[in-house]
Amino acid sequence: MSLELEGLERAYSGFDLGPIDLTVDREVLSVLGPSGCGKTTLLWLIAGVLQPDAGRITLDGRSIEGLPPERRNVGLVFQDGALFPNMTVEANIAYASSDPAYAAELAELLEIEDVLDRRPQTLSGGERQRVALARTLATEPDALLLDEPLSSLDAPIRRRLRSELHDLFDTIGIPVVLVTHDQRTATALGDRITVLRGGNVEQTGPSTAVLERPATRFVADFTGNENIFEASVAARDPETVTLRVGDVRFEVAADADSGPAVGSTLTACVHPSRVRLRKPAASLDPGEALVEARVRRWLNEGDEYRVVVELEHAPLTLTATVSPPEFESLAVDAGSRLRVVVAPDAVHLITAERPDGRAGTERPRQD
Amino acid sequence: MAAHSTRAGAVRRLDWLTVTLLLGGVLLVYYLAPMASLFLAVPPGEVLGKMTNATVLGAASTSLLSASITTVLATLFGLPLAYWLARTDAVVKNLVLAAVILPLVLPPTVGGVVLLTVVGPNTVVGSLASTAGIPLTRSLAGVVLAQTFVASPFVVVTAKAAFEAVDPTLEYASRSLGKGRWATARNVTLPLAGPGILAGVTLAFARAMGEFGATMMLAYYPRTMPVQIWVSFVSLGLEDAYPVAIILIVVSIAALAILNTVASNPWE
Repeated sequence: MSLELEGLERAYSGFDLGPIDLTVDREVLSVLGPSGCGKTTLLWLIAGVLQPDAGRITLDGRSIEGLPPERRNVGLVFQDGALFPNMTVEANIAYASSDPAYAAELAELLEIEDVLDRRPQTLSGGERQRVALARTLATEPDALLLDEPLSSLDAPIRRRLRSELHDLFDTIGIPVVLVTHDQRTATALGDRITVLRGGNVEQTGPSTAVLERPATRFVADFTGNENIFEASVAARDPETVTLRVGDVRFEVAADADSGPAVGSTLTACVHPSRVRLRKPAASLDPGEALVEARVRRWLNEGDEYRVVVELEHAPLTLTATVSPPEFESLAVDAGSRLRVVVAPDAVHLITAERPDGRAGTERPRQD
Repeated sequence: MAAHSTRAGAVRRLDWLTVTLLLGGVLLVYYLAPMASLFLAVPPGEVLGKMTNATVLGAASTSLLSASITTVLATLFGLPLAYWLARTDAVVKNLVLAAVILPLVLPPTVGGVVLLTVVGPNTVVGSLASTAGIPLTRSLAGVVLAQTFVASPFVVVTAKAAFEAVDPTLEYASRSLGKGRWATARNVTLPLAGPGILAGVTLAFARAMGEFGATMMLAYYPRTMPVQIWVSFVSLGLEDAYPVAIILIVVSIAALAILNTVASNPWE
């Protein structure tokens, strides 16, 4: 079972989407991008609510781009749920399903049994999303599309629904495309991520790869990677590239084919989760670069801490995410001294840059 | 000092509202007094007696029948036009809307005149219809044509607003759930726009019941209630017009009751 988009294009109220080429198998593809990047348009094209100007949409080998929405068997969960206000929750689900037993099963699965006789207007945001999802799943779709399924929810409900959705997607075994502007939702739910910018695909890849190896500065910025810096190439051999920032050197695992020349300047990044902090007296593993640093500030983000450190021998500030126990054992405080450890495979060189690339103007929202 | 001036301000505002009510009240009395006076002027027994009169009954049944047909026609053709107006981005939208509103602002007698140039006895359409046995003037068909011209814009304009209030996303949702356009219209759009549509239908029926100007030009016979009022007034005097006028007032009040209960009153 797979959903394929080939050269999909649509000019839409002053901006152009595409051409988009994507293949989604039995997996969850998170489409991540700022508002106005064409995420919703993309879903509406696949669902048939909008017609593409060009391109092909194939679902399980059958071409569906010319079909009306009701004949595509593509389930679309709209951003605010789009529940019918003139029907009860139960009637909303029954409207989509010809099988009452399956509708009841979905109600149980999504834990909405006790709101079945209520009107959509009286539901909370989380309940509305569950009902909308149940209603869409009741049609037994061949592909599932979700438009910002968690954006209107409070953080605790969002977190809970996120993990529930994760389990659900595992069990339904159809292509799922989820669009969101929230990096955490994208990575938590997506097997792969596509970053969309100004109507075009900036990068597609497994979640971890997109986070740790962003293709462009925009992707790095939008996925919450704060550690982007310019560095010069100090040395190079077949396995490693040595970068220099100030008096600090980083070893980077080299790409065999496209190596930068010694002396050139390039953009590198390290995902905050790959920056490790150690106590001042800590010992090193082989190959690790170790740098003296001082804590500038830290931020409690609930389930983790974000610690910003200034390197002592380079004009460089790095952010590290630290788990609460680690945070405590490091005794982090503003001004305290620490060592920063960056593994060679943690540093990524951003080589592709779109000619019009102006990164950093659009910021993701985070919970 | 400050407290005193605030207090004085409050009093002044109150006074101003009272003044506006008093001035507006003149108009209110002007609306209601004639109605009350009509009901008081005629002994109920006499009105009831005249209501069983064959002429009055004939006029009432003509009006009810024609206004019902008109309402059905106006709804049947008005709803699709209203939906198109509510959803289209076409550049001609405003022109179409202007064409719909034109009969509303046109003096009804002028409406009758323009209709006669199309369906009058000496026109192509009129003579063809006469030959086919369906005369379009001096007939029930003529009454319906006149009423539809004047009353149907109420359905279109009011239902357009009702359709516009239905979020198109709900229609998209219905279709992505596997329902076609008809099922979507029947289960989602029409129920949600229902109160507004009912308001338009009610207004159209009330307007059709009261239609006089265009009807006089197209179909003096068979007499509708407004025409009968005029005939009674001219030939027999004002008092003979009372019973039919009272029936029409009752119809109007019933329409108002519908607007303020099950329908959504477009003027609220």
